[in-house]
Amino acid sequence: MSVTILAIESSCDDTSAAVVRDGFLLSNLIANQDVHRQYGGVVPELASRAHQANIVPVVDTAIKQAGVKSDEIDAVAFTRGPGLLGSLLVGASFAKGFAVARKLPLIEVNHLHAHVMAHWISEHGAENRLPRFPFLCLLVSGGHTQILIIRDHRSIEQIGSTIDDAAGEAFDKCAKVMGLGYPGGPVIDRLAAEGDSAKFSFSKPVIKDLDYSFSGLKTSFLYFLRDRLKEDPDFVKNNLNHLAASLQRTIVEILMNKLIKAADSTGILEIGIAGGVAANSGLRKAVTREAEKRKWNIFLPAMRYTTDNAAMIAITGYYKYLSADFSDHDITPLARYNL
Amino acid sequence: MQRRKLLKVRTLNNLPAAAEQLLNDASGFRIFAIYGGMGAGKTTFIKEICHHLGAADSVTSPTFTLVNEYMVPGADSICHFDFYRINKITELYDFGFEEYIDSGRYCFIEWPEISEELLPDECVAVWITTEEDESRTIEYTLPGIT
Repeated sequence: MSVTILAIESSCDDTSAAVVRDGFLLSNLIANQDVHRQYGGVVPELASRAHQANIVPVVDTAIKQAGVKSDEIDAVAFTRGPGLLGSLLVGASFAKGFAVARKLPLIEVNHLHAHVMAHWISEHGAENRLPRFPFLCLLVSGGHTQILIIRDHRSIEQIGSTIDDAAGEAFDKCAKVMGLGYPGGPVIDRLAAEGDSAKFSFSKPVIKDLDYSFSGLKTSFLYFLRDRLKEDPDFVKNNLNHLAASLQRTIVEILMNKLIKAADSTGILEIGIAGGVAANSGLRKAVTREAEKRKWNIFLPAMRYTTDNAAMIAITGYYKYLSADFSDHDITPLARYNL
Repeated sequence: MQRRKLLKVRTLNNLPAAAEQLLNDASGFRIFAIYGGMGAGKTTFIKEICHHLGAADSVTSPTFTLVNEYMVPGADSICHFDFYRINKITELYDFGFEEYIDSGRYCFIEWPEISEELLPDECVAVWITTEEDESRTIEYTLPGIT
């Protein structure tokens, strides 16, 4: 029997909808001007967190693109949290309304769990290599930096986390200090390719166990620039590539250090990365390099699954559907939703 | 009449005392706007304040999430905002900032500039400045008692 899941993600800036059938992705839409245009609706100014304006066009387009009929949908999955309460409410309310109208089961999904579960998305015409359990995953984004163990499709355990800033924030804020705008992570990645990563060194934090800290790096980077700019007002301009490369190397080394420690202490060889910073080429290269050395079987997410997306909510919902793990309609979104 | 106070924080070791001093001086107030440049230590100071208030959760930067909530056993949760990524005041209405402010809970706001017209008169303004020797000056004004 075929199982078709419609999923909605609205935890932070973007509104997204996706359809998954039997573990295979049929559509995955993130609200943008095109979605509004295709839907024939008014094209609103593309604002962050405009979920109410986005949700109907984006769901409608996702269902159409998937080529499924509304009555072929077996359940509706939605992001329950963590995220902004107001944003989550839009997705949760829409999911409930859709489920009631079509008499479908409702499935709540933890956004962080879903980022890891993105590794289980299969696509038609693709190779579709899926991780085996237990799976060790570094979830690293603008808002999160965590090391997780996933033992089956439904349970996940956090064994390390940042105690202050996320790694993505370190990228973005250091980029801002160099005048690169926000978000600056992708710009740093691009500039780093042309720079000498050994040119400058920044202090790395000493944090216990498998936890991370990135607040100190941000501050030391700031002081470093301040002192150098006193000697040479063009220091940043003349060293932009080297600064980007050195900063990226430092952040990646900090991330890898604990990931290796986690792999060694758990003995897990199935290893992946997830979240926005998983798009960083320096991190992807470092994970690939370690994998060769340490016989890891690694999983690097496709770029489209590193940002917030509903495909990952749909695949998580699909596995919950298989275990008949449904939610009641009195379920409420959670701004804080620990794994 | 407003009251103004200035604290010198030489090292991180002095931070708990500064947090305690601010909370004592500002007892009865719940809304705190925390000003300061990048790397001034806004999140670090709020971490210390939340620790004093008995927060059970670890305090992390809300730059990406815009707001973090920390549970306090036996008391209301604490709200920690960061408006670094906010471009327009309408974005604050959209996520219900006013409701948080009116909730009676402790609210600490980093990069509060854009939210100023929504902040009540009973808001404690805190400025953290980095000195040349990397020590910090924490200056705050307490709203007048009416």
